Amino acid sequence: MKASIGDLARKYRWQFSGMVAWAIQRVTGLLLLFYLLLHVHTVSKLGEGPVAFNEAIATFRSPFFKLLEIALLGTVVLHALNGIRITLVDLGVGVGQQRHLFWVLTLGIGLLVFLAGAIPMFLFGVLKG
Amino acid sequence: MELNITVRLARHPAREGRRFSEFAVTLEERMTVLDALFRVQRGMDSSVGFRCACRVGMCGTCAVLINRVPRLACSTPVKGLGSDVVTIEPLPGYPVIKDVAVSLAPFFDQWRRALPAFRPKDRDAPALARIPRDSPFGRLAGPKRDCITCGACHAACSITGTNAAYLGPAAINKALLRLLDPRDAASGDRLKILDSQTSGVWRCHTQFNCTAVCPRGINLTESIGQVKRALLRPRKAFQA
Repeated sequence: MKASIGDLARKYRWQFSGMVAWAIQRVTGLLLLFYLLLHVHTVSKLGEGPVAFNEAIATFRSPFFKLLEIALLGTVVLHALNGIRITLVDLGVGVGQQRHLFWVLTLGIGLLVFLAGAIPMFLFGVLKG
Repeated sequence: MELNITVRLARHPAREGRRFSEFAVTLEERMTVLDALFRVQRGMDSSVGFRCACRVGMCGTCAVLINRVPRLACSTPVKGLGSDVVTIEPLPGYPVIKDVAVSLAPFFDQWRRALPAFRPKDRDAPALARIPRDSPFGRLAGPKRDCITCGACHAACSITGTNAAYLGPAAINKALLRLLDPRDAASGDRLKILDSQTSGVWRCHTQFNCTAVCPRGINLTESIGQVKRALLRPRKAFQA
C-alpha cells in the first residue's frame, strides 16, 4: 500500500484544510477578476451604441454561457463565505475551530446556497432558456 | 503483530546517483519512525545520518519530513501512517548536513531576531516573581509555552519557504509570550520587529500549516493573529 492520491486527499481534507482554503480563495479571486474584466468590457459596449451592446449580450445567451453563470455563482459563493471565514479568524473568532469553519461555513453552507441558486438557474436558464 | 515496511530514505549527498535509498524493515506494532531509522542504521547501513536526543517528544531534535509532512520521528508510530512505504526526508527549507539531518540555523537566526530572552523591568528584584497559573499572563500564555523549537512549523510554512527574512511562526509565538509577560521590559523593541510587512507578522497568510504540523499542538496562527490585533489596537493589547 503506497502513499496514494487518497492519502493526499485525506491529509489535505483535514490536517491542511487551512492551506486548501487559502488556495481556494486565491483561485476564486483570480476567476472573479477575469469575470470583472469581461463584465467591464461588455458594459463598455454601451458607449458604442445599442447595436454593439446587444451583439455583445447575445453572446452570453447561449447554454454554454448559462452554465458558466452557474459556475460563476459557485465561485462567488466560495469566495464570499471563505472571506467571511478569514475575517472571523483575523478578528480572533473561531481560530481554534478554523477547520470546522472551513467545512461547515465555507463548504457546507456554500453548497446549500449554491444549490439554491444553481437549480433554478439550470432549470429555467439552461433547459428552458 | 509485526509490520513489514519499506523505508525510503533521502540521501545527502546522493548515493551512486540516487537521491533515495530503500530498506525493507520489520518492526513491532508500536514502533516509531525513529525506531525504523535505528533499525536501518544499526542493521543495514551504518552511514545513515539522522538526529535524535530525548526519544520521547520533548526535545524536537528528530523532526523530519515523513510522508511529506513535518513530524517528530520519535512520536510518529509507523502503524499510524497507514502506508507500507515510509518516505523520510530532511525538513524542507533548511540546509542539509547529512541525509535527513538538517541545520536549524535559519530557524534560530529568526528566533534570536525576535528577542526571545526575558528582559526584566526590575533588574534588582530580591526574589523571583511568581506567576500563578490562573493569573492573566498564565491564562493567556497557556499551551503557547510548550514550544520545543523542533522547526517543524518553520518547515511547513509556505512564507518562510519563499521569504528567508520572515520571522516564522515559532519566533513570533516566542515574542508573543514575552509581550504577554507583565514583568518584561522589551515590548517596544519586539513590536518594532514584529510590525513589518516584509519580515514580521503581516507576512503571515493565515494558512494554518504551522498549526497543522506543530507536534505540541500549539495554535501558532492564533499567536500571530494576537500580535496582529495588538499592533492594530495597541491600547487594548494583551488584556486578559
